[in-house]
Amino acid sequence: MSERFEPKIIAFTCTWCGYPSASLAGVNKIEYPPNIRIVRVMCSGSVESAVIMDAFENGADGVIVIGCLMDDCHYVSGNKKAQERVDALKKLFDIVGLDSRRLRTEWINASERTKFAKTVTEFVEEVRALGPLPLELAKKVKKERTKEQTVASVKQLIEDTGAFDCVECGKCTTVCPIATFDNSFAPRTIVLRAMEGIVDNIANDRDIWTCITCEQCNAMCPYKVDYSGFIRGMREEASEFGAAPSCSQGGLIHAVQRIMAKGNLKQRRLDWVKKDMKVADKGDVFYFVGCLPHYDAIFYESKDLRLQEICESAVRIMNEAGVVPVVSNEEKCCGHDLNWTGDEESFEKLMEHNVELVKKSGAKKVVFTCPECYRTFRADYQDLMGDFEFELVHISDYIKELMDSGVLKLDDRAKDEFTFSYHDSCRLGRHSGVYDSPRELAKAFTGAKFVEMENTRDKAVCCGVSAWTNCNANSKKMQVDRVMEAKKVGAQRLLMFCPKCQIHMKCAIQDKVPVDPSMVDVKLEDFTVAIARMLELLPEEEAE
Amino acid sequence: MPERSNNDVNVRKGLAVFLCACRGQISKKVDLEKIAEDLKKNPEILIVDIHEALCSREGQDYLKEKAKEINFERVAVGACSPNVQGIIVTRALEEEGLNKYLVEQINIREHCAWVHNDKKAATKKAESLVRGAIARAEKLVPLEDIDIEILDKALVIGGGVTGMQVALDIANSGFKTYLVERSGELGGRTYKLSMTFPTHNCGICCMQYCKECVFTPKIEDVQQNKNIDVMLESEIEEITGGFGDRHVKVRTPSGTKEFDVGTIIVATGSKTFDPKRIPELRYDLPDVITTVELEQLIVEQREKGGGLKRPSDSKVPKTVNFIQCVGSRDKNKGNLHCSLVCCTYAIGQAREIKRMNPDADIYIHYIDLRGPYRGFEEFYEAAKEEGINFVRGRISEIVHDKGKIFVRALDTDADVLLNIESDLVVLSVGQEPADGSDAIAKMLHVQTDIDKFMKDINPMFPSEFRRGVYVAGTAQGPKGIRYSIEDAKAAAASAIELMRKGNVKFPRIVAFVDEERCRGCGRCEKTCEYGAITIETDPKRGVLVSKIDEVLCEGCGQCAVVCCNKAITVNGFRPEQVEAMVRALVEEVDADV
Repeated sequence: MSERFEPKIIAFTCTWCGYPSASLAGVNKIEYPPNIRIVRVMCSGSVESAVIMDAFENGADGVIVIGCLMDDCHYVSGNKKAQERVDALKKLFDIVGLDSRRLRTEWINASERTKFAKTVTEFVEEVRALGPLPLELAKKVKKERTKEQTVASVKQLIEDTGAFDCVECGKCTTVCPIATFDNSFAPRTIVLRAMEGIVDNIANDRDIWTCITCEQCNAMCPYKVDYSGFIRGMREEASEFGAAPSCSQGGLIHAVQRIMAKGNLKQRRLDWVKKDMKVADKGDVFYFVGCLPHYDAIFYESKDLRLQEICESAVRIMNEAGVVPVVSNEEKCCGHDLNWTGDEESFEKLMEHNVELVKKSGAKKVVFTCPECYRTFRADYQDLMGDFEFELVHISDYIKELMDSGVLKLDDRAKDEFTFSYHDSCRLGRHSGVYDSPRELAKAFTGAKFVEMENTRDKAVCCGVSAWTNCNANSKKMQVDRVMEAKKVGAQRLLMFCPKCQIHMKCAIQDKVPVDPSMVDVKLEDFTVAIARMLELLPEEEAE
Repeated sequence: MPERSNNDVNVRKGLAVFLCACRGQISKKVDLEKIAEDLKKNPEILIVDIHEALCSREGQDYLKEKAKEINFERVAVGACSPNVQGIIVTRALEEEGLNKYLVEQINIREHCAWVHNDKKAATKKAESLVRGAIARAEKLVPLEDIDIEILDKALVIGGGVTGMQVALDIANSGFKTYLVERSGELGGRTYKLSMTFPTHNCGICCMQYCKECVFTPKIEDVQQNKNIDVMLESEIEEITGGFGDRHVKVRTPSGTKEFDVGTIIVATGSKTFDPKRIPELRYDLPDVITTVELEQLIVEQREKGGGLKRPSDSKVPKTVNFIQCVGSRDKNKGNLHCSLVCCTYAIGQAREIKRMNPDADIYIHYIDLRGPYRGFEEFYEAAKEEGINFVRGRISEIVHDKGKIFVRALDTDADVLLNIESDLVVLSVGQEPADGSDAIAKMLHVQTDIDKFMKDINPMFPSEFRRGVYVAGTAQGPKGIRYSIEDAKAAAASAIELMRKGNVKFPRIVAFVDEERCRGCGRCEKTCEYGAITIETDPKRGVLVSKIDEVLCEGCGQCAVVCCNKAITVNGFRPEQVEAMVRALVEEVDADV
């Protein structure tokens, strides 16, 4: 096609300066390209990253945020905050491959009509030069689905998950962490409603999204009903009717994951690999990194997360044992969150891509630091694709394996004396049955004292949020309770493998807590990072 | 009010689209007919129509008629800026019983017809914009205005010429007024001036602190007014609360006083620039003085007779140099802004010296002479006639050599370097915001300029409604006495109007919390610049939740963005509303409706 590419560009303009500067450009008839579509917001600081991402997901080729001049924000500091937010989002754009040049901020006074026209003209040309985004656009038309189809699907689901065997004993409800705080919620009743064929309300049934799929109920059920699996299936059904959960960060994280499913963008997700780390394109061991490269850009305000240390630690530990893992710039999200929020289509696309990627690398073994990725490959991928030829192993088991084979030595290296505990993440423990290796690894911290919390192994209390949905005060309570549990047994540090458990629990205790802050004064740390630090493979932690 | 059933004929439902041709301003560049035709394919839109000028009287009547006829609930308007004529359109619809929060106007004039010359492209864009407005209108939520009660008491901060005038006007209208002044006396800097423009002197005797002074009766008026509670040597400690009802704590010599007010007028004034900040002007020398100090010298010595004498040795100075723009119009050495009054007062003082010392040689070194006041030109001409020398050019430095002062200056008109031996140098110091005005601005959430003067919401309309807080006088920037008084009168009138009404309706474009989603992290509380958010314990659930004070909230939405669960959203700008619009805007217009 020889026709010139006409990019679609959204300009978010603040009410006080951006918008009027555009209007003044109009009054003065200063021409600029018609590719610009102006959206008025109160303050540039009120433009959500998720809304920007949504624009791209739906067909925008560029977004510019225009607010008052710095130090002259009508709302004191909105433009500064907008700048920080957009800067962080730009990082995310580069990692995902959306290209940060498609995103811009500009601070224009209400009277600066010429600057407005000049800025947007420049921006249109810049984006035009970048060309269209190779993204499959969101489908507008929903498939028509009949009630009969839904009833049949739900029936199948009930069969597949063994929900028919439910004897209504209510044990699930007694252990359900949600039911503890919200007595209107009972896992049993959702199953019951479905069994009775009541699916009319499926699009509006909040309960199916409230569940955190921690599988406490599964573990307790005397008849082994796969309650979480049932919920997952119900969500898929509900999403056919347009139902969606309330997503954290306004849905930004899910949008990023969908974007990965929608196109093959040129990602830049290996910036965390430092020069002295050894990684390969092909080899026996594939290290599946997961979402770790994204998080620091998403949670840019939480400076103490530094989740990229996890992947750095994993690679350094492997290197220490003489293993050079494969890491891939083309890796995509495992699809866990989409799978658990009913987006089967995107999930399957991601699955196919990732499995193909592992196969191409020639790996015989895939190592995971993230319990969710591990569970997704192990259970969900293999459910759909059959058993893989390559082995799937969690880092805890893998490090244990490396220790057992003598290539990695951990003991006698611990210097500090501290008391620590270990939090079993649901995806690793109850979902995948990995309980022992972490505890074996804990023994390697020879100078330190390992203590178990009251609720441990398959009774471990959940971190409160699953798949970035339905976070609320109850979630926070669970998180605070969990940290308090660690404090109660005298732990100074609480180790865990799941980056999300860490994000959620840190979030809960970093700001206001409904209890005395000293009761949650526990250092939350990733297990892999703690090991790397013990081995002195990571730079010393900066004093806080 | 009884609930209306859906069968009620008065229940409004559905959406209408109106496109404004703006008497050709839009229709010349945008094919409105085509857009209307496309939109008519959407069966869910009750009416799509084009009108010549929606904001005209006929246009408003037309809208009302249609609203009566069709009973639509929501409206998308494609016209000009919603901030201007949009208000007229919305008001017309509101009068017909529509909820104004369900009207969305998109700008296809300034943002489209006026800036794109290609009619096809402009039409395509306009259609996209209108579709955006429709998508947004469909997601809007009906709301009621916030009813705000205004207490009938006023606080005036600052007892200078402005603050006094405000206090008098408000008190004379029958409202209790608290006047807080930091120093021990009323009158501010104006009280220390003996000659003010344009009368040049007060016309009676020009004695400082003179009981005969025209200014003195004002001070007496203020002090004797039963409605004014004057607090001298007092400072504002804290102001809490919001529009209509603010709680004030004042530190006075007799302890802290607390009271509530409905309106606040900030008249904190300005201070003069400290010339020590520019060392090459040698303010350390006794015979280099500021215009404020010169004023005192004049006042003291005029009474004694025998001419003006300089401070160091009480000699009558032969040569006097005035240096203009000290601390003004130079960002590197002081402030970028022009202090506006210095040209006028320097000429006044020069003329006064000439009167006291007729033999004196007086030079005024200026960059530009600025006196945009009636009578200034005559004032300036008179000064020239009296023999005052005006030299255009900047001062390079002041040199002290063997007990003598030399002013080195460039005369840009003659293009010569001057080195004038000077007996007295007068620095025409500019103005800066008064100390502590920053704190007051913060307390009251008044926006400040780049130079830290308080800012008007609309630079063209002084004393525009600002949640019951008005700024008057030099707190807003340098200005003459007359203009400060004008400010004072305007601010007082606005405050009086507000207090007379007793309550106002305020748009509910504010943040609100969905408590089910809130996890009480407190990030919103931290980010809010207006103190509108507090985290409270919900005793029933034993959790923390965010509470928003609607009156304090300014609706900026910064809290909504930091909320990780989107428990907070801003009315009218909910993510789903903005998203719906954005999605429509990025959609291909050629697609079917």
